[in-house]
Amino acid sequence: MNSLDFSIVAQAWPYLWSGLLFSLALTAAAFVIGMILGTLFALVQHFEVPVAGRLVRAYIALIRSIPLILVLFWFFFLVPIVLGHLSGNGRPVPIGATWTAFITFGLFEAAYYSEIIRVGLRAVNRGQFEACQALALSTFHTYRCVILPQVLRVASPIILSQTIILFQDTSLVYVLSLTDLLGAASKLAQLNGRLVEMYLVVALVYLGVSSAASQCVASLRKRYAMAGAHR
Amino acid sequence: MFQETAVNVTSRSSAIVAVENLVKRFGQFTALNDINLTVAAGEKIVLCGPSGSGKSTLIRCINHIEKHDGGRIVVTGVELTDRMTDINSVRREVGMVFQSFNLFPHLSIVENCMLAPMKVRGLSREEAHERAMGVLRQVRIHDQAGKYPGQLSGGQQQRVAIARALCMQPKIMLFDEPTSALDPEMVKEVLDTMIGLARGGMTMICVTHEMGFAREVADRVVFMDRGTIVEEADPETFFRAARTERAKGFLQQIIH
Ligand SMILES: Nc1ncnc2c1ncn2[C@@H]1O[C@H](COP(=O)(O)OP(=O)(O)OP(=O)(O)O)[C@@H](O)[C@H]1O
Ligand SMILES: [Mg+2]
Repeated sequence: MNSLDFSIVAQAWPYLWSGLLFSLALTAAAFVIGMILGTLFALVQHFEVPVAGRLVRAYIALIRSIPLILVLFWFFFLVPIVLGHLSGNGRPVPIGATWTAFITFGLFEAAYYSEIIRVGLRAVNRGQFEACQALALSTFHTYRCVILPQVLRVASPIILSQTIILFQDTSLVYVLSLTDLLGAASKLAQLNGRLVEMYLVVALVYLGVSSAASQCVASLRKRYAMAGAHR
Repeated sequence: MFQETAVNVTSRSSAIVAVENLVKRFGQFTALNDINLTVAAGEKIVLCGPSGSGKSTLIRCINHIEKHDGGRIVVTGVELTDRMTDINSVRREVGMVFQSFNLFPHLSIVENCMLAPMKVRGLSREEAHERAMGVLRQVRIHDQAGKYPGQLSGGQQQRVAIARALCMQPKIMLFDEPTSALDPEMVKEVLDTMIGLARGGMTMICVTHEMGFAREVADRVVFMDRGTIVEEADPETFFRAARTERAKGFLQQIIH
C-alpha cells in the first residue's frame, strides 16, 4: 500500500464540506419535523384521542419495526404513485430525492421522538397537573407552559442521543443518489483512488461531530442531575 | 345532628363555601358520605381527623380536583358542575397549597408566581412581575425571586407555593397539610405566614394537625372520621372537651 497522502484531503475539502452541510441540514430538518410531529403524536396518545390515538400507535409500531432504508425506498417509489392517484390522472408525481429525504427522515424520527416524549409525559408528577388545575390554567397552558417544558428538559439527553444516531443515519441517502458527507467521500475516493485517506477523514469528522454532541448530552445530564439534587 | 347546626349557624347568604350532602366515591369505596359544611367569608376552618378519613378528598372537591358524585358544592355563588366555565370560575377564586409544594421546577420563583396571573387573569408581564414581587415580599422571600425551587429549603418552597396561590388574588385558600412534609425547624416559618394571612382576613380551610395553629387562628375545628364530619366546635371547646369518643381518641394520639 502507498504511504498515506493527506494533501489530497485539502483539495477534496470543499466537496466534503458541502456533503457535511447536507448531512447537517438533513439532520436539522428531520429534527425539527420529527420533534413537532413527535410531540403531537405523543400528545394524541397521552390524551387517548379515540381514533387518532390508535392510528398513531400503529404508525409508530410500524416505523419502529422496519429499517430506515426500506422506508426511504417506500417513500421514493410509493409516494409519487400515491400522489399521482390523488391528483387524478394516475401518473406518478415525482417529488425529488431531496424532498423524499427530508420528509422521510422527519416522519421516521417522529416515531422515535414521540416514544421518548410519551414516556416523559407519563413520568411527570401528578402534583404538577394538580397545581395547574388549582391555578385554573387551561389544558393548553398546562401543557404548553408547565408539562412539556419539563418533559423536554428531562428527556433532552435521550433526544440528543437519538439525534446523534439520526446524524449518522443520514449517510443512508446514498440510496437516493444524494451526496452527504459519506457520499462525497466515497465519490472522491473512487475518483482519486485515495480510499484510506478519504474514509479516515470522514470517520474523524463523524467522530468530531458526534462526540461534541455527546459532550452536550453529558453536560445536560449533569445539569439535570444537579437541578434535581435538592428534591 | 352537628351537621345541621353547622348549616344553620352561618346564614346561606354570607356563605362563601356551601357543601351540601356531598358524596364522593372511589369505585366501590365511599370516601365522603353526606358531608355538610358551610364556610362564611373570612372564616378559618381547621380540618382534622385520622389518616384516610377524607380530609384531602373534601378540600380537593371544593376546587374540583376531585369530581364529586352526589350533593352540591357552591363556591362564591357558583355551583360546581361538569361545565368547565363553572369549574374555572371557581378555581380562579380558590387558592390551594399542597403538602408536597408542587412548584414548577423549570421556572424561577418569580416566574412560578407570574404564570397563572398572566395566562388566567390576563395580566401583562410587567403587572404580573410587580404583583409577584409584592406577594413574595409579603411572605418574606423576595430576595430569592430569581432562584429555582430546587435551590430553596422546604420551608421556603412552601412559602413560595403560598405566594403563587396568592398572586391569583383568591377569595379562599385551601391548605392540605402544608407543614407535614417539612423538617421540624421549618414548620414555624410556614405557620407564621399562614397566621399572617389569617390576620389579613382570608377565608381559609386548612387540613392540619398543628394544634397550636388551630388554637391561634381557627374559628372552627372540624373533625372527620371515615368519610363523615363527626364533630365541629371552636378550638378551645374541641381540644378541652371533645364530645365524641372518636375525637377524644384522635386527640390522645396526636398529643403523643
Ligand atoms: N384517587 C384515589 N383512588 C382511590 N382511593 C382513594 C383515592 N384518593 C383517596 N382515596 C381513598 O379515600 C380515602 C380518603 O382519602 P384522603 O386522602 O381524603 O384521606 P385524608 O384524610 O386526607 O388522609 P391523610 O391524613 O392520610 O392525608 C382513603 O381511604 C384513600 O385511600
Ligand atoms: Mg390527606
